[in-house]
Amino acid sequence: MRLPPGTRDWLPAELRRKRAVETVLRSVFERWAYSEVQTPTYERFDALEAGLGENLSLKTFLFSDKSGTQIALRPEMTTPVARLVSTRMREAPLPLRLSYVGSAYRYEDPQEGRMREFTTAGLELIGPESLDADAESLFTAIEAMDALGLNDTLFDINHAAIVDGVLAALELDQLGIAHAKELISGRNIVSLRERLRGTGSPQAIEEIVRLVLTRGGEDVLSTARRLCHTDAGLAGIERLRSVLTRANELGFGDRIKVDVSLLRDIEYYTGFIFEGFANEVGFALCGGGRYDRLLPLFGFEAGAVGWSLSVERILIALERRHSTRFGMAPAIDVLVSGSDVIAARERAAGKIVRIDFDHLEEAQLLDEARRHKIPRIVIASDGVVREIEVTP
Amino acid sequence: MSLPLRIAIPKGNLFDESAARLRAAGVDVPADPGRKLTVTASDGTQVLFLRPTDVPSYVEFGAADCGIVGADVLWETERHVCEIADLGFGACRLVVAARRSDRYHEGAQLPTFLRVATKFEKTTEAFFAERDLPVQVIKLHGSVELGPLVGLADLIVDLVATGNTLREHDLVVVNEIAASTARFVVNPVRFRAKYGAITALFERLTAPVAV
Repeated sequence: MRLPPGTRDWLPAELRRKRAVETVLRSVFERWAYSEVQTPTYERFDALEAGLGENLSLKTFLFSDKSGTQIALRPEMTTPVARLVSTRMREAPLPLRLSYVGSAYRYEDPQEGRMREFTTAGLELIGPESLDADAESLFTAIEAMDALGLNDTLFDINHAAIVDGVLAALELDQLGIAHAKELISGRNIVSLRERLRGTGSPQAIEEIVRLVLTRGGEDVLSTARRLCHTDAGLAGIERLRSVLTRANELGFGDRIKVDVSLLRDIEYYTGFIFEGFANEVGFALCGGGRYDRLLPLFGFEAGAVGWSLSVERILIALERRHSTRFGMAPAIDVLVSGSDVIAARERAAGKIVRIDFDHLEEAQLLDEARRHKIPRIVIASDGVVREIEVTP
Repeated sequence: MSLPLRIAIPKGNLFDESAARLRAAGVDVPADPGRKLTVTASDGTQVLFLRPTDVPSYVEFGAADCGIVGADVLWETERHVCEIADLGFGACRLVVAARRSDRYHEGAQLPTFLRVATKFEKTTEAFFAERDLPVQVIKLHGSVELGPLVGLADLIVDLVATGNTLREHDLVVVNEIAASTARFVVNPVRFRAKYGAITALFERLTAPVAV
């Protein structure tokens, strides 16, 4: 018997750790007053297609139902939530704060941290296009990582308009800009230099390449400001500056850097973008940003900002640092032999009860209790009830 | 912040110059690692000696933070790594070559379903697919130039540095697919997580070939 590629089983200890991570995330989301929603695991592809964009659509598992309708397994949660908000919740007062924890499916080449079935958790703040909303999305992510014990997770932030503003200095057509942004996003500097050659003065190009290679704070913002040629880009720089100031007040300043090459999904994000990563793992732990074009695609004129993570990736990061924080099995309180009634009474009292089916002798029961670190035994035999405290 | 780096470098053609560049950049790499798989310098920097085609995998998965590898290997392995700098050495060209007597180099039309022998399966398939010319690619692991001589293949796709090997076997270049040099590659997340150390290494590695 073999599992399809990119899927896995969760054994008790593994699932316990996963559930613990999900519980921590839910509690952080609740503290920020986000309400969890759930959408179907699969829905009509035509309802999601526009929101998913080309890249995700290509990775979506598709099948037909009996009527021939094309059905999609959701490859992420943001688009289904956008669909939900623009239909059932369009009269709800804004801002809406929604969260989710659920499985999603992508046709990927399976590798560590990239499964075809994975669990995604995240939140969406719908309505405001303000700096406050951008800052809230970043701070919720930082607090979530901290609550998971990944409190040295670093964050890079960017604004999608900055790169456009910088590239506006060069002679590039729409296709050229799109290609350059793709190379910048992958930090493919060798091809970027090649692509930009001849589109401006060698000095101007060198400055742009330098900017793309630099992560930093105020220094990067000043350079970006000098090289940026659009009002939208300059406004983006100011927004990042404000986010940094507010992050400093919360004591997060050291963990946040500006990186104008951080573009994630180029077509999707329209403003603020961020990503969290830790040294142990070669992939991002969480990420998100502002996507103001998505809800209008569903006929709902509202901005939105949000982020998500893959629970499996968090588990890998925790395992890499040998964290024992999650997944301890709950201790069994009592071993009961010979009476359903006594066992029921113990459970009613809130105890975790293991039942002996085998009518073991006292010595064997003691062995069993010690093996499972159970501190108490209750034996009912011939109408006599005995309690034994187990010494280790 | 300054965690020590783990750097992957290729054994084979690019080894000597890679090691020399790293030494010039202050990373202690022996001229001949012998049978060693890794060395660790006094500052904690670790250098891994790998098969060239394995370098991109180590870097993509973060088993190494960064590495040196030929562009030709990057095309073929299609790993997701940041190609930060062209180090300039190890120059060679990936070419399509044929027997001189076939006159393809003089513009004779290439028929469909030619057999092409190569170590560069993916790059070769992509090259001919872009030209809508169906070919049968035969993956070899060495001595590709033998293919046309014994009738295994009509064409070869192989790396050429000086052109001597082709001349010795009376083969000629039909097309140049791309030019390759050694590249400095970095894991996308480690570029951020170890930004200080990686930037410092990259500045020192690229200093001699001011662009």
